[in-house]
Amino acid sequence: MRDHPLARRLLRGTTALVLAFLMAPMLAVVVLSFSPTELMVLPPRGVSLRWYEDFLTAGRWVLATRNSFVVAIATTLLATVLGTAAAIGLQLGRFRGKALLVTLLTLPLVTPYIVTAASMYFAYSLAGLAGSLAGLVLGHTVVAVPFVLMAVLATLQTFDANLLRAAASLGAPPWAAILRVVVPNIWPGIAAGAVFAFATSLDEFVITLFLAGPGQFTLPRQMYASVREFLTPTILAAATLLFLCSLIFLLASEALRLRSTRKTQP
Amino acid sequence: MMRRLLAPFVALALGLCAVPALARDLTIVAGGGALQDHMRRTLFATFPGGPVVDTAYDYNVGPIRAMVAAGNVTWDVVMVEAPDLVRGCEDGIFERIDWSVVDRGKFMPGGATTCGAGAIGWGVSVFYDEARHPNGPSNFVEFFDTARFPGRRSMRRGARMTLEIALMGDGVAPADVYKVLATPQGQQRAFAALDRLRPHVTFWTGGQQPIELVNSGEVAYAVGFVGRVANGIRAGARYNLRWSTLLYAYDSWAVVRGSPNAAQGMRLIEHITSPAPLLELTRLWPINPVTQAVAENPDVRARNPLMMSNHTAGGLEIDTEFWLEHGPDLEQRFASWLNR
Amino acid sequence: MRRTNWLAALLIAPLLLLILGSFLVPVGLTLFRAVADREVAVALPDTRAVLAGWDGQGLPPEVAFAAVARELAAVLEARRIGDVAQRMNFERTGLRTLLLRTARAGDRLRAPYAESLVALDARWGQRDAWLMLQRAGGPFTSLYLLRAMDFTRGPDGAVSQVAIEERLFQTLFLRTLWVSLLVTAICVLLAYPVAYTIARLRAPWSSVALTLVLIPFWSSVLVRTTAWFVLLQREGPVNGALVGLGLLDAPAQILGTRLAVVLALVHVLLPFAILPMHSVMTRLDATYLRAAASLGANGVQRFLRVWLPLSLPGVAAGGAMVFLLAVGMYTAPALVGGDRDQMVTWFIANFMTRDVNWGMAAALSAYLLAMSGAVIALTRILTGGTVQAGARA
Repeated sequence: MRDHPLARRLLRGTTALVLAFLMAPMLAVVVLSFSPTELMVLPPRGVSLRWYEDFLTAGRWVLATRNSFVVAIATTLLATVLGTAAAIGLQLGRFRGKALLVTLLTLPLVTPYIVTAASMYFAYSLAGLAGSLAGLVLGHTVVAVPFVLMAVLATLQTFDANLLRAAASLGAPPWAAILRVVVPNIWPGIAAGAVFAFATSLDEFVITLFLAGPGQFTLPRQMYASVREFLTPTILAAATLLFLCSLIFLLASEALRLRSTRKTQP
Repeated sequence: MMRRLLAPFVALALGLCAVPALARDLTIVAGGGALQDHMRRTLFATFPGGPVVDTAYDYNVGPIRAMVAAGNVTWDVVMVEAPDLVRGCEDGIFERIDWSVVDRGKFMPGGATTCGAGAIGWGVSVFYDEARHPNGPSNFVEFFDTARFPGRRSMRRGARMTLEIALMGDGVAPADVYKVLATPQGQQRAFAALDRLRPHVTFWTGGQQPIELVNSGEVAYAVGFVGRVANGIRAGARYNLRWSTLLYAYDSWAVVRGSPNAAQGMRLIEHITSPAPLLELTRLWPINPVTQAVAENPDVRARNPLMMSNHTAGGLEIDTEFWLEHGPDLEQRFASWLNR
Repeated sequence: MRRTNWLAALLIAPLLLLILGSFLVPVGLTLFRAVADREVAVALPDTRAVLAGWDGQGLPPEVAFAAVARELAAVLEARRIGDVAQRMNFERTGLRTLLLRTARAGDRLRAPYAESLVALDARWGQRDAWLMLQRAGGPFTSLYLLRAMDFTRGPDGAVSQVAIEERLFQTLFLRTLWVSLLVTAICVLLAYPVAYTIARLRAPWSSVALTLVLIPFWSSVLVRTTAWFVLLQREGPVNGALVGLGLLDAPAQILGTRLAVVLALVHVLLPFAILPMHSVMTRLDATYLRAAASLGANGVQRFLRVWLPLSLPGVAAGGAMVFLLAVGMYTAPALVGGDRDQMVTWFIANFMTRDVNWGMAAALSAYLLAMSGAVIALTRILTGGTVQAGARA
C-alpha cells in the first residue's frame, strides 16, 4: 500500500520542515547558552561556561532550583499514590457512573489553566494555603494527578481484574492483594504516571505565579521574572538545564512504555 | 492500608503547613534591586531590635490581601505605593502606625498617615541620550511635538502618569492637570493627545525597558524612572534628564495587619526612618527620603545633585486620591484605547 | 461483590476528595463570585434593610439617611470601608468619594440627616445614588458579568453598552477566540501531514521522527516561549538571519506583534495536535486501505473515503486540545505579544493581583470556562465520543 511518489516526497518534505521548526528554537537556546559574551548571536563566537557558573553561584537561581525540586518531588509522591489508588479502585469497582467519575477527576486537564489558578488563589487564600509550599504542592497535584490516573488506568486495562477479585474474595486482606498482585504487575504504568507528574510540576508556571509566596520562586517563575527584567544568557543556561531534564523524562517514559508493552505481549 | 499508605503524606502536608507557623524573624519587604541591597546594609542590619529578613515583591498588593484574609501573615513591614496604602488602610490590610513608637514629627508634610510612615520618593521624567540627540524636548509640549523633535517616544503602559503627561503635552499647566482630568472633556483631551502621539510611541512595562530602548537607539526620547536614569548617569551614560518634566510620588512603610511581629515592626519603622541610618544610605544611593532632616540636609543635597528631592519644586506630585477614584475607570479606558 | 465496591470506594475517595476540595469547589466558588454581591450587605446592613422596603420613587425616608450616615462612619472606624467603596465606585465612578466624604463627616452630621447629608454632598439629594445602593444590596448581581461583556446597567436598571471609548472585553474575547482558532487551524493543518507521514514511515525512521515530536512535547512551555523571546529580539538570531540572507534591509520589530504570538503558540501547541492524530492513525487498520484498493479506488479516493474519515477522531481530539490550551495560555502572549495582543488571561491576572477586583476576575474566568465547555461539548457531538484528554501520552 503506497502513496504516489510525488505525494510521498511532498509529505516527507513538509514533515521534515515541521520537525525542524519544532526543534530549532530549543537547539538555538542550547547553543546560545554557551555564548562567551552577553551578546546572543548565531553562529556563536566561542564557547564558555560562564553562564552556567553564574547559574550555579547566583543564590536566587539555586534557591529556585531547590524550590522546584522540593515541590515536584512532593507533588509526584502525592499524585502517584492518590492517582494509583483511585485507578485501581475504578478498575475494581462495579458501579454506574464510572465514566462520569473519570471525567470529573480529569477535569483539571481541560480547564483553562488561568481559571484553575485564579480559583485556587481565591479559595486557598480563604483556607490559609496561599503563599505556602503546601498550597503549591496541592495546586500542582491537582493538575498532575490526571496523568497518573490515565497512565495507570491504561495499564490496568491489560491486567486481569478477576485475579484481584479472586484474591480479595479468598480472604486475603485487600491491601495485601493490591500490593502483592496488582502493583508488581502494573508498575511501569505507575512509574510512567509519576514521570508525567514530575514533569508537569517542574513545568508548571501559571498556578505557581498565583499561589507561590513572594519569596518562593520556582525555576519557571524565576525565568519569567528574569526575562522581563534583564535578559542575560543565564536564563538560557537555566532553560538548557530544564531542557536536559525533559530529555531525561522522555527517555524514562519511553523505557517504561517499552517495558509495559513487552510485559503485556509475552 | 490506606492509613499506612497515606501516613507519610499527611505528615508531609502537615510539615509543609507548619513551616509558616514557626516563629520567624522580622520580615521586611520592598521593591528589591540594588537599592534594597544598600538598604539591607545601612537600614536593616543596623536595627538594634534583632535580626531582620528582607525580601522583594513587585508592588502587587493582591498577595498581601490574600495573606491577611487567610490569617497567615508572613510579612511584617512592607513598602507600598500611596494608593495601595490608602485603600489598604481603609480595608484594614495594614495596622495603624503606633505614633508613640514612631516619631511623627520627623516626616515631611503628608509623610505621616494613619497606616503609613513615609519611606522614599520616586518619579518619572523625560530623558534621552545626549550623544544621539544634542537637543531633546525640555518639556511635555515639546515631547509631544513630533515635527520639531522627530523620533520614537516611550512611555509607561498604563493610565496613571501617561494621562497627566498627555494633558501637559497638550498645554495644560501642571497645577490644573487633575482638575482638567476629572472632567469628561479633559479625559477626551488627554486621549486625543495620545492619539496624535500614538504612531510614535513604544510603551514599556518594566522599569529597565526605557533605559534599554534609549541605549539601543530604538527610541529617541523616553519617560523613565529618575532613579534608574540617575544611576545610569553615575555609571557614565550620557543621558539628559529633564527634571522640569518630573512626576513624583512617595512610597510608605506599613505594617501588615495581623503580623505577629507588629510591635517589633513599629520599632523597625522608627529605626529605618530616623536620620542617622538614612544618612548612611544617602552615601551609597541618591534616595529621596521623606524624613525632613535628611531630605533637607544641605550636605546630602549638595553631594547628590541627581537626588529627586532637589528637583521636586518644578514637578507634579501624583494625586493619590484622584487615582483611587478615577483609576479603575481610566485604566480600563486606557486599555480600551490601547487595544483599538 | 459489595465488599469489592467498598474497597473501590475507599481507594477512589482520597483522590475524589482532593479534586473536590482543591479544584471543583474552588472553581465553583469562582463562578459564585462572578455573581455574588455582598459588600453592601456586609458593611451597611441597616441601610440595606431600610432600602429594601423603599419603592424607588422620590427619595428614601429619613431612616435611610440616618442609617447610611451612622453605618458609613462605623465601617470607616472599623476600617472595613474599602470593599464597599470599591464596589460602589465600580458601579459608577465618583461614588467612592461620596461614601468616604460622608464617612469622614461622621460626628459632624446632625439630624435631620436628609438635610445634613444633602448639604454635605448634593448627590444624596438625587435618586440615582440611592437606587444604585439599593440594587447593590445583593445577594446576586449581574454587574460583573455585564461589564465583562462591555455592558452596564443604568440607575433605572436598563442594560446598555458602555461608552465606545471604554469598550474592551468584547474585543478581548473576540481576539482570544480568533487567535485560538487561528492557532488551532494552523496546528491541525501542519500536524495532519506530519502525523500521516510518521504513521506510514518504516522503523526506525518512524521512531526517530516521533522522538523529534516528543522532545518539544516534554520540554517546558516556558522554556520554549523564552526561546522565542530570545530568538525574535531586534538584535536576535532570526533578525540576523533575515538581514544576512538579504530578505530584510534592517532588523524588524517582530517581538511584540501578533505574528510573534501566533508563532510561539503554534510552536508550543503543535505536539499536542500531532500526537493524538498519530496515535489514531497508527491504529488504523491497513486492511481497509487494501480492501479499498482492491475495489479499484485510486490514491485520492482511498485517502478521502477511507483514511480521512477514520482519522477524524484524532483530528478532533488534537484540535480540541490545542484550542483549550490556547484559550488559557498566559505566558506566550504576555511575553512575546505587544500592546494589541493581550488576551483575556492577562486581564484575569491583572484584576486578581493588581486591581484586586475579584468580581471581574471571576466574571472573565466564567466566560472563559463557558468558551472551553462549549468547545468540549462541540467536539463530543462531532466525534460522538469522549475527548481523549491525554495531553502527555
